[in-house]
Amino acid sequence: MKAKDLMIPLQEYLTPETTLKEAANILRTARRDEDKTGVKGLPVLDMNGKMVGFLSIGDILKAVFPSYMSLMNLGDFTWDGMVEDMAKKAGNKKVSEMMTTHVITVNEDAHLMECVDHMIKNDVKRLPVIGKDGKVSGIIYERDVFFAITKAMLDENNGGVK
Amino acid sequence: MTNEAAAVTEGVVMGTQFWIATALFILAYALIISEKIHKTIVAIFGAALMIVIGIVTQEDAFHSMELGIDWNVIFLLISMMIIINIMKPTGVFEYIAIKSAKVAKGKPFAIMAIFSVVTAVVSAFLDNVTTVLLIAPVTLLICQALELDVVPYLITEALASNIGGTATLIGDPPNIMIASKAQLDFMAFIYNLSPVIIICLIVYVITLKFIFGKRLKVKEELRQRVMAMNENEAIKDPVLLKKSLAVLAVTIIGFVAHGALHLEPATIALFGAGLLLLVSGVKEPHHILAEAEWATLFFFMGLFMIIGGVVKVGLIKWMSIKVLEITQGNLFGTSMIVMWFSAFASAFIDNIPYVATMNPLIIDMAKQLWPNLSGVELLHHVDLMPIWWSLALGACLGGNGTAIGASANVIVVGMSEKMGKPISFKKFMLYGMPLMIESVIICTVYVWVRYYLLKI
Repeated sequence: MKAKDLMIPLQEYLTPETTLKEAANILRTARRDEDKTGVKGLPVLDMNGKMVGFLSIGDILKAVFPSYMSLMNLGDFTWDGMVEDMAKKAGNKKVSEMMTTHVITVNEDAHLMECVDHMIKNDVKRLPVIGKDGKVSGIIYERDVFFAITKAMLDENNGGVK
Repeated sequence: MTNEAAAVTEGVVMGTQFWIATALFILAYALIISEKIHKTIVAIFGAALMIVIGIVTQEDAFHSMELGIDWNVIFLLISMMIIINIMKPTGVFEYIAIKSAKVAKGKPFAIMAIFSVVTAVVSAFLDNVTTVLLIAPVTLLICQALELDVVPYLITEALASNIGGTATLIGDPPNIMIASKAQLDFMAFIYNLSPVIIICLIVYVITLKFIFGKRLKVKEELRQRVMAMNENEAIKDPVLLKKSLAVLAVTIIGFVAHGALHLEPATIALFGAGLLLLVSGVKEPHHILAEAEWATLFFFMGLFMIIGGVVKVGLIKWMSIKVLEITQGNLFGTSMIVMWFSAFASAFIDNIPYVATMNPLIIDMAKQLWPNLSGVELLHHVDLMPIWWSLALGACLGGNGTAIGASANVIVVGMSEKMGKPISFKKFMLYGMPLMIESVIICTVYVWVRYYLLKI
């Protein structure tokens, strides 16, 4: 199986100029499949459709997290309403400020094991798939790789259980 | 060019080697100041070139007390870094900072004053950068809780850390370097520098009161956020904390007694680091050692080797002769020039390469003045001592002049920028420069009264 066989074709994306407010809403309402909405991350494409970054819900969490808190153990000394206050300020930040610019990608024709290799070594759960035109054609999700693995495990021909 | 053809100035042979080493030294310092290439890379490559070109031998660079790496400085720094890295996860630093804010009852000026004093005292025993990295995050949190502008707090803490660091042998790298070259012990620094630093700190806090006393205001309900913080929750590992504090106490007692014990400060620090590694129950020391500031340590090592080159060819001796020509042997004048020149030089350039150059220069100067003396008799000559103290005071306090004068300043400027509150070079200088001049004036009066008027 190859990346293009497993990927979910790209439907929604963000732009660098999108505000986090808008981006959060798009993440919440993006279609995952027929009956589910909400995704945990989307690629960020520039005007020419080229991918310039990736924004995941982890990046939204980072947007409200003050940088100084990563330097020491200060979680015990926070107060009620702190996240909400920070969220109000963070809402107008641009996607470009918070997105990951070093994005791990695979080509359409990559074998499944290459996808697993990237996911394990880089600790990512989503891999944008790059098509022949150099643009993002879809995304491979960890859960879909998991389904592919499960299918192989349970396949009768492999001696699996039915 | 042969040596016969080379110019000879008062015992310094200005031959090919002299000019090559001098050029390498100037180029390296220019690159360090320009910040075009990371200073550590410049130092490492410059040091390697000094050996490859044959200015110094590897034996000189690695093993010579006079020309090579000062391992006393390196091991003292490494050992203190290890001790801090083990102590950090215990939560003791969070505890101290939160407790300070609560002692100040969440009142804005009281917080500034107490944080400044705490920063100064901690800096006297730990490296300034470490201290600021430990106190600034809590300051940012407290200021956010109180909805206060964090910039004055960060600047005043950086300045306080540079003042406090000046007080002891281990407080600031220039002092460590001076102590090693001049063979001065921990108590000599306490006896000579601590009194004037205490005065400087008191005057500093009073000055802050004039500048900020009326400007800082906070809403009553926000103070409750600070008062609701429970500092005891900061302590994550009470067992390790007790062990760390015990070892730290042993280490500080060791520093106090190292002169009497005839042990170098680096030995005391290494003993403390080794003991804490042993009793802390660290199974795998890799991450604790990896967290040492290797870039800083290699910067020191490279710098020592580069300086060794210009000491060997006589550049530093030549410079010391020129200084004596200017001051005409007036040692009071020399110590005043050393203090004020050091202060302004350190305000704009890194005080580490500056002091690394000044140390051999002062020793060479002493050799010109008292050619019959050597060893401790020369280094501790009663007329030379005020010059060492002037160098320490000028080089350490001078760091307060500008945003780039000391590493602690660079750190707070960086942190503030990350928080979306950039501190311009001008803004920092607006506070830093007058406060630096104030403290150097205090030191000038102190050196004059103590060493030249009262001669004690």
